[in-house]
Amino acid sequence: MAISEHVNGGTNTRKSMPSSSALKPDLLNKLSFKTLKLKTKQQELLIRVSILCLVYVLAFITRLFSVLRYESMIHEFDPYFNYRTTLFLTEKGFYDFWNWFDSESWYPLGRIIGGTLYPGLMVTAALIYWALRFLRFAVHIREVCVLTAPFFASNTTIVAYLFGKEIWDTGAGLVAAALIAICPGYISRSVAGSYDNEGVAIFALLLTFYLFVKAVNTGSLAWALASAFGYFYMVSAWGGYVFIINLVPLYVLVLLITGRYSMRLYVAYNCMYVVGMLLAMQIRFVGFQHVQSGEHMAAMGVFFLMQVFYFLDWVKHLLSDTKMFQAFLRITVTCAVGVGAVALGVGTASGYISPWTGRFYSLLDPTYAKDHIPIIASVSEHQPTAWSSFMFDFHILLFLFPAGLYFCFKRLSDATIFIVMYGLTSMYFAGVMVRLILVATPAVCLISAIAVSATIKNLTQLVRAKNKVPQTGSTKGASSAKGSSKGSIDQSQPFQRNGAAALLFGAFYLLSKYATHCTWVTSEAYSSPSIVLAARGAHGNRVIFDDYREAYFWLRQNTPPDAKVMSWWDYGYQITAMGNRTVIVDNNTWNNTHIATVGRAMSSYEDEAYEIMRSLDVDYVLVVFGGVTGYSSDDINKFLWMVRIGGGVFPVIKEPDYLVNGEYRVDKGAAPKMLNCLMYKLSYYRFGELTTEYGKPPGYDRARGVEIGNKDIKLEYLEEAFTTSNWIVRIYKVKPPNNRW
Amino acid sequence: MVKPSSSSSSTSQDALALINSLRSAYSATPTTLKIIDLYVGFAVSTAIIQVVYMALVGSFPFNSFLSGILSCIGTAVLAVCLRIQVNKENKEFKDLAPERAFADFVLCNLVLHLVIMNFLG
Amino acid sequence: MLKLLAFLTLSLPFLTHSFSPDHPTDRRVLVLLDDLAIKSSHSLFFKTLQSRGFELDFKLADDPKIGLQRYGQYTYDALILFSPTVDRFGGSIDLAAILDFVDTGHDLIIAADTNASDLIRQISVECGVDFDEDPSAMVIDHMSYAVSDTEGDHTLIASDDFIKSDVILGSKKIEAPVLFKGIGHTINSENSLVLKVLSASPSAYSANPKSKLSSPPLLIGSAISLVSVVQARNNARVLISGSLSMFSDRFFRSEVQKAGSADKHEKSANEQFLTELSKWVFHERGHLKAVNVRHHKIDEADEPAIYRINDDVEYSVEIYEWHGKSWEPYVADDVQVQFYMMSPYVLKTLSTDKKGHYFTAFKVPDVYGVFQFKVEYDRLGYTSVSLSKQIPVRPFRHNEYDRFIPAAYPYYGAAFTMMTGFFIFTVVHLYNK
Repeated sequence: MAISEHVNGGTNTRKSMPSSSALKPDLLNKLSFKTLKLKTKQQELLIRVSILCLVYVLAFITRLFSVLRYESMIHEFDPYFNYRTTLFLTEKGFYDFWNWFDSESWYPLGRIIGGTLYPGLMVTAALIYWALRFLRFAVHIREVCVLTAPFFASNTTIVAYLFGKEIWDTGAGLVAAALIAICPGYISRSVAGSYDNEGVAIFALLLTFYLFVKAVNTGSLAWALASAFGYFYMVSAWGGYVFIINLVPLYVLVLLITGRYSMRLYVAYNCMYVVGMLLAMQIRFVGFQHVQSGEHMAAMGVFFLMQVFYFLDWVKHLLSDTKMFQAFLRITVTCAVGVGAVALGVGTASGYISPWTGRFYSLLDPTYAKDHIPIIASVSEHQPTAWSSFMFDFHILLFLFPAGLYFCFKRLSDATIFIVMYGLTSMYFAGVMVRLILVATPAVCLISAIAVSATIKNLTQLVRAKNKVPQTGSTKGASSAKGSSKGSIDQSQPFQRNGAAALLFGAFYLLSKYATHCTWVTSEAYSSPSIVLAARGAHGNRVIFDDYREAYFWLRQNTPPDAKVMSWWDYGYQITAMGNRTVIVDNNTWNNTHIATVGRAMSSYEDEAYEIMRSLDVDYVLVVFGGVTGYSSDDINKFLWMVRIGGGVFPVIKEPDYLVNGEYRVDKGAAPKMLNCLMYKLSYYRFGELTTEYGKPPGYDRARGVEIGNKDIKLEYLEEAFTTSNWIVRIYKVKPPNNRW
Repeated sequence: MVKPSSSSSSTSQDALALINSLRSAYSATPTTLKIIDLYVGFAVSTAIIQVVYMALVGSFPFNSFLSGILSCIGTAVLAVCLRIQVNKENKEFKDLAPERAFADFVLCNLVLHLVIMNFLG
Repeated sequence: MLKLLAFLTLSLPFLTHSFSPDHPTDRRVLVLLDDLAIKSSHSLFFKTLQSRGFELDFKLADDPKIGLQRYGQYTYDALILFSPTVDRFGGSIDLAAILDFVDTGHDLIIAADTNASDLIRQISVECGVDFDEDPSAMVIDHMSYAVSDTEGDHTLIASDDFIKSDVILGSKKIEAPVLFKGIGHTINSENSLVLKVLSASPSAYSANPKSKLSSPPLLIGSAISLVSVVQARNNARVLISGSLSMFSDRFFRSEVQKAGSADKHEKSANEQFLTELSKWVFHERGHLKAVNVRHHKIDEADEPAIYRINDDVEYSVEIYEWHGKSWEPYVADDVQVQFYMMSPYVLKTLSTDKKGHYFTAFKVPDVYGVFQFKVEYDRLGYTSVSLSKQIPVRPFRHNEYDRFIPAAYPYYGAAFTMMTGFFIFTVVHLYNK
């Protein structure tokens, strides 16, 4: 907040300089540029560079809340896997990393990590680490990993500036850079500690789009090659590259259909597609998908269409007789369409071209995942977005977005058509799935920046009506974009100037509110490491629950090195990274049957579960329990998903067995199978004797708000090994079979 | 489709007239462009040969097949891009120096061939 | 001379070994009796034990000074309970202590009889053997009883339904039937650790001989086991017999004639049967050890940490059998090794050089994952050999595939032609005009 005010204040002084020049002319002038004898162009350059520097620093430091409040650690679940792989990369080198077969996860199937991950993030962090080491900075790889995402967020602001400059003008670029630096939609996945693919991928996405638009604008092969490399970086970083490989052909198609095509488009798209596809196939995980998967066929189709299209254009240019050309045209088009349709049909029918995978198909049909793929449906980030989430993540950008669209339509060019398409498609997908708000954020910021920049330009032109000074880029000066975007300089209205000034101040107010909101959101909502929990104690002091790490280090130090730990898949990455033990299933969720086996074990009675655990060589079982602290993301709340996923593969597990009248209960009225299943027993073992809250009976579950139904739990095949200090993580040891029978 | 009123002979006449006018128009293009066209044709024909070979033998080392095909297609496409940029009739590129166009072309081809070598297996 | 004698006598306790995995012969045996007269009435049985070198320590079952451990060390290697009517043991011995004794690998012989106490029944239940609940029931057989002048209620039965195992009962065939008078028990058929050594004939049943049968007896026929053994997972062996009198001198010496058969045997088989059985229980037969598990690639000598698919692997193990005084190589042709990951991908019988060394070679399957070399050898009467060694198997590295594939030569050619074409084209293009 302080930083943004400073920037605001900085702009204010600059903006108010002409109007207050009458008040303090000499002093200010002496202290300002005149003493440096700078020309206007250089003044503008200085302002721009300083604004960009400030925005760069701002983007970095606004993401540091959790590092300052807790410590420099990796958050969440997926980043722990990325951290572990980066550690391996720095220790063993690239070739071992590329060929890495990990026998510690998905026991006993193992996982070819080298071939099933997107290496971009790890290689980037490793390169930064080696560069720093080369410069003799003795950093630890964990610090590099924690701060990679903020660093790339800063780089994204630069790319946003360049992109804005390409689409509209430098003013829009600066506003875009500033907006994207603090936009919560982007911050949510690029906070310091959130060492996940998206932190780097959004940078790569925006870079690819910028380079491609630059290539289309200039028609230069060099820019197209650069965009191919940008695409390669994106493919190496995130599975969301499918968005690029579908959006760009769609854009080309739109241009072809509306007749706005040109030779530059041909050069740009072809070079990017062929070289980009070739580069993308070097990533093992992507493999041959560009020629075999249904999700990538649009690009290939547009490629062939383009060849036909431009060939016909060339022939039309060669021939003078239009009638002959018409005949030729007809023949060629029918041939081409026929061949294309036949090829597509044969490919899809024979199964050679694989259909859209579930993950992406559920974007087109949002109800698909709930019915068919419970694992995808169970992830909270995959739920449809509510309006409150949009408002939370975008704030004023939400209504600046339509205004920006209007401006883009007013000045249609290749670049603005692209940004409009990007904005509309990404907003649709953001509506389908919460986590895709991230992909929409750059588009929203850019389009809103256009609205802001265009209106502020008009307003300041009104304010400085008689002066013909070229507009400097404005950073935080914005407008209330609700309507007054007509930049007409009507000299006849006497109050126009005052009205415009008032609107400008209104715009300042709005943007400062945006900055406040963004900072508040970052501080409160998106800076939680989720592996360390914080709460307010009775006296208002902050209480930290570090149970997860306590449990993982207990595992690391008190179990044999080849012990196998069974837990729900959420915790797999953390157990392998911090506990350094083999796990049965983890967050990669590539093998549904294996996860369903674990789900079945958790939902069965203890003796059946014991058989399953013996067949998987399980030594320890880990459950997360929030009944003592009121922590609501524990295994009992996730239990129905275990039942659904287990029941999806093993029909013996039936979800209605665990519900009472369709209701999920854990108290006395719960279903008998629920009260005796393994998960219930492991969560509530010895809990019936514990008093958790003053005035409530022992065995009162604070997360569910009820007294549990089965207090006298006896375990026959497992014994309790460790429970953390706040009972959040509980570890049980599987007993070997009885000696005498 | 072909106009129903014309007989097959008039269709062939039309086709012949088409080919003749195409040929005459094409011969008017400058030699530089014709060399580029020859190069493109060479690349495309190599690609077709490879596709036929793959259809006969099967696509076992698929990465080798893809790298061979894409090397041909990439060469063809890049050459066409060069042709577009060097062609004096294209008004969009009139202030692009042919040396710059050629330099870009060479750079792209270098990258293409390096990646092909890696992908070839 | 005297000094030498003194030295030898003093060092004698140190020369005698106690039970150890390397030398699995029991030495010191605690015998708990509820009546010291048993010492003399069962002297033949005890003499067979003592002649084989066991030190028997006779104590009364309720002697307050008895204990199995002292200062955390077990002072006895095996326990014989010839006290069927004891309700509470004296000293520090109780049900949990006895079960701990077995669970730490020591052997146990229990003999129950009519009016067996609850304690003895509980010990047997914990070992997987259920005696008839009726305390006064005995095994009665009106078809296979032993012909005698004195016993008329057919509770003295002659049984020859032995388990077919040379390991347990010795190689010499038992000709005569065994005399038995006592209670019967059943075993749980799902329990693979318990074996019926001596079963009753199909016509036997368990009931109170003195009263009329009010309802059909629950234990009938061959389901009744007269003598059972339990081989626990840690290879402790337990012998449970329903009759104490079958160990007595009287039964050892008596002649036996099975009802319905003309053969009259001079001597019952009790001595032979019980001697051989005690040899088995005290690990003088059928005790295997598997050592020296080694696996390596065919042309290398040391064990790698990870294999690759399609590697050639050699696996070897040495199995020895204890013959009372020393380890002898174990010779069998049915020891198998599995290469196992949730199911056996490779199952091979190990070949042997008859000196205890078992080996085989096979090819790692085309599947990657975490496998185990598993040897599960579980033969009747032998200790179970259960070896498992975990080893991961990785797929090919990127540079372990074939370098040049003949089928791809046209593609190589095309790529190189493109490169030369590009080179020629640049030359032509630059120097044109």
